Amino acid sequence: MASTAGIEDASRDPPSPPSPTASFYDMSDDSEREYSTIRHSRSGKGVKLLYTKSKVYVHPTSSARDNVPGYIALMQQKPAAGDVTTPSTSPEPSARRAQRRSLLLAWVPESSLGEASSTYAKVESSTSPSPPQHSPLVPAPPVTTTHSSSLGTYAFSVPVSEVFSILVRPPNSGWWHGSVVINTRAGDSFPALFFHDSECQSTIEQRKRLQRENFSISSPEGSGGVFWGGDELIRWLKSYVHVERSAQEPSIYLIDPNDADKLSFGSGGKPTSHNVRNVLEGKHKDEPAMHKQGEDPVTKALKQARWSFLEKMAQVTTFTRRTAQAVAENKNLPPQVKRLMQSPQVQTVSDEFDSARLYLARWAMGIAEQSEKERNQRIWTAKDVLEMEETGVGEFEILDLDAQNISLADKRKPVSLQEWKGYFNASTGRLERTPDEVKERIFHGGLATDDGARKEAWLFLLGVYDWTSTKEERRAKMNSLRDEYIRLKGAWWERMVDEQGTLEEREWWKEQKMRIEKDVHRTDRHIPLFAGEDIPHPDPDSPFAEAGTNVHLEQMKDMLLTYNEYNRDLGYVQGMSDLLAPIYAIEQDDAVAFWGFVKFMERMERNFLRDQSGMRLQLLTLDQLCQLLDPKLYEHLQKLDSTNFFFFFRMLLVWFKREFSFEDILRLYETLWTDFLSANFHLFVAMAILEKHRNVIMEHLKGFDEVLKYVNELSGSIDLPSTLVRAEALFKRFQRVVEAIDRKSSFPAAPVARQRVPLPLPPPPATSPGVDGRPRQASAESGSGARRRSSSTAVAVTTGRERTVGDHVGAGVGAEKERVVTPELRALLSREVPKLDKVEVRAHGGGVGS
Amino acid sequence: MAGTRNYDFLIKLLLIGDSGVGKSCCLLRFSEDSFTPSFITTIGIDFKIRTIELDGKRVKLQIWDTAGQERFRTITTAYYRGAMGILLVYDVTDEKSFNNIRTWFSNVEQHASEGVNKILIGNKCDWEEKRAVSTEQGQQLANELNIPFMEVSAKSNINVEKAFFSLASDIKKKLLDTQQPQQQQQQSGVQVGSNAGGLGGGLGKNCC
Repeated sequence: MASTAGIEDASRDPPSPPSPTASFYDMSDDSEREYSTIRHSRSGKGVKLLYTKSKVYVHPTSSARDNVPGYIALMQQKPAAGDVTTPSTSPEPSARRAQRRSLLLAWVPESSLGEASSTYAKVESSTSPSPPQHSPLVPAPPVTTTHSSSLGTYAFSVPVSEVFSILVRPPNSGWWHGSVVINTRAGDSFPALFFHDSECQSTIEQRKRLQRENFSISSPEGSGGVFWGGDELIRWLKSYVHVERSAQEPSIYLIDPNDADKLSFGSGGKPTSHNVRNVLEGKHKDEPAMHKQGEDPVTKALKQARWSFLEKMAQVTTFTRRTAQAVAENKNLPPQVKRLMQSPQVQTVSDEFDSARLYLARWAMGIAEQSEKERNQRIWTAKDVLEMEETGVGEFEILDLDAQNISLADKRKPVSLQEWKGYFNASTGRLERTPDEVKERIFHGGLATDDGARKEAWLFLLGVYDWTSTKEERRAKMNSLRDEYIRLKGAWWERMVDEQGTLEEREWWKEQKMRIEKDVHRTDRHIPLFAGEDIPHPDPDSPFAEAGTNVHLEQMKDMLLTYNEYNRDLGYVQGMSDLLAPIYAIEQDDAVAFWGFVKFMERMERNFLRDQSGMRLQLLTLDQLCQLLDPKLYEHLQKLDSTNFFFFFRMLLVWFKREFSFEDILRLYETLWTDFLSANFHLFVAMAILEKHRNVIMEHLKGFDEVLKYVNELSGSIDLPSTLVRAEALFKRFQRVVEAIDRKSSFPAAPVARQRVPLPLPPPPATSPGVDGRPRQASAESGSGARRRSSSTAVAVTTGRERTVGDHVGAGVGAEKERVVTPELRALLSREVPKLDKVEVRAHGGGVGS
Repeated sequence: MAGTRNYDFLIKLLLIGDSGVGKSCCLLRFSEDSFTPSFITTIGIDFKIRTIELDGKRVKLQIWDTAGQERFRTITTAYYRGAMGILLVYDVTDEKSFNNIRTWFSNVEQHASEGVNKILIGNKCDWEEKRAVSTEQGQQLANELNIPFMEVSAKSNINVEKAFFSLASDIKKKLLDTQQPQQQQQQSGVQVGSNAGGLGGGLGKNCC
């Protein structure tokens, strides 16, 4: 490609900016020497538009409505008279300086383009990686070196010679849109320019082209991310000026740095000789290696970001709040850290080191989340997946890739009412598929949210209807269930009116009624169905008499009272209202919802026993699952006295009801009700959540209380679809591991390695006050419990000190200890729903019948 | 940059009492100075942190909140042991919750460390027209149990701050007293240890 650099005077034809044919982006710094200043337009009006890109926004406020779209542009203005150099001149510094001075980096809002807009569009759509031969002229935007006057809606341009550095944040390091911030030599920073690449036709085209030509859309800047608009900007700048990426703060690109800049930059850090050399050489030697190792580039970026962030945080906690302010104002701080320091959360936590650590951990996780979302947009090839698998680095990352598996895409489409109806014979209403087929569809795709499919299908999933029933049978069943509901409801009503039963019974009843009422009034009140109070309370003595109630709250109350009556051995227990609400919200018919709830409770009863044996069993199973699937994490949790897994109590008790949005819960519950892979799939969901956060937990959290707090505060931030995918992958892996162990154990067994299997409850040492907030060592009490437990289960799982999670079972025979599958773990392979029999409920239920 | 901790005492407190008496609301009022009328039930256990200043000392309070329903007592009692102060909360509009205080109290005696500081709290004292337990009754029970007493309202922000401060201050005094003799290091949460960490010491080491 021999395009010239916009020379109008054709008598000379200086070399163009280097062509990318050899390597698309490998623009050697030497090449710019050959580039010489062009002659400006004879007209003397306007500036040459060398490069521009649309859909670059200024976000003046936090509201997306205020975002101002514009163009970022590289322009060349007429150099000052004295600076004009002839193209033949050797690359004297003065010449280069002049050239830089004539270059402008500009941002122009779309609205102010006027007639020039077609010129901008033309230059943008030019596919040439170098300026067109006849650079078109556009009106010069106001030149400035401070942004104070130009914030937001006004165009600005900065002489490139005045640019000290550009902070470049690719879209995958925590922000949805990539952005750049121009920092001037005067110490000023311009507002961040956000690259809305998904709206920008030229970048979309470019990506497509890249993919076609290079079979890759990865960023050339070594960030490991997807190619984005900022890469192109840097490439263009590089073709005119010396651009050097800071080795200490990789998101900073120094523009024509002098040696002092290079050395002093990033004074917050400690320049190692390695770093300094990198800065001096302006090279990024680590990067190819990074790719070779196959380490997730995001993880890498995260690690780097954390390092610089930690140092600043350390300063905050070491000095006073005043110092924190000083740190926050330090110009050398990366703006994201600055912003973080100024955020109110950090202001309050900066004197609270425990909280700061949790905050930090969440912040780090937030970045990973965001980048994961971004990564999901990337199209993975089978080769990518294989490569990642081969590296064995973090098998957990691989789990996420299933989400991009295209063959699954169809399966993951929700089941619509129409599809659902198609499963049944039109005249008899009998299912014409196997229940498994249907369950598989729902397990992977869920049910459509808006066409009433759930209202039908849930009754099958819950077991109110038999999968093999006919339409007629279902009608008959529902009729008798309605009658039965009315009968049950009438029973407690009479009891209430007549004050029947023993004193103890009456007391219990009164108490339960009060409890149900209180709980109903604080269950899911944020969803429209349960919000508001528009009818007077039927009972003037109720504490809610003043506030009033609404018809759905009253229905909830009746259903729970009826359940309390129906299952007197257990009675109503807190948490049940959480389980009923989704069913009622879908069915919106008290009798139907009641029976759905009764069926749901059959499997959930064990969570509510007085002795908590059901919860204990599940927490113990989770403990063993973690030992088996992620021994390293397990070891860490052991150190924190957290292997009671008590921090999962809430999630298991009400099936993550407090962790996800109401909408997500509907999807989660129907998935779990299918029992498609395991009747205890919820434990794999729990494990998936734990795995997602394993690195944060292992690197940041120092005690049970911190783990509990961290996990409790995940509420509302967990992405359901990817969690389900991960849970499924974990289940598959669990299955493989069990099979492998079973195969191996058909050989003569080595002595079983005895190892502490902790008693999951009570959770204790966490609150036992240790000096400085660390829990004391495991108490004797829990130790003896552990012994009891391990002798009763007689099996244990190795911690596999030498093993990494990604290892295949059977590898490293020497290091590996015997692994045995406990009955608790083996039960996870079953699709049979564990239900308690009546005798058990009576014995442990804690209701009035027991 | 190691070893600077920004509190002089760490005190762990625990809220107990019947479900719906307003434990979580009291905690929310104290830790975040806010109130929501339709709170959600507490499931399992959680805690919040607030650092206060007492006689020029920075006292970090870690306050554990528990589920109130008797059914979950097996779990919640596990947390009694670590607590240095316990707030027994009832609802002045709910006589039953007041009557249950004795049960809660004997639970504490059974499971908590010996000599743990306690305080009796009657919540919702703003709701006079619904009141079922008089201030005198509350005071009488407190006298009988030999613990301090206070009526509070998380909703109207009455006395909540005072209740926590008073309990924390009693504990701090006791810590200072018991610290004198011999068991200095043993006594939980007292000493500004070398182990304090701070982000620099704690995290910096691990991150690179």
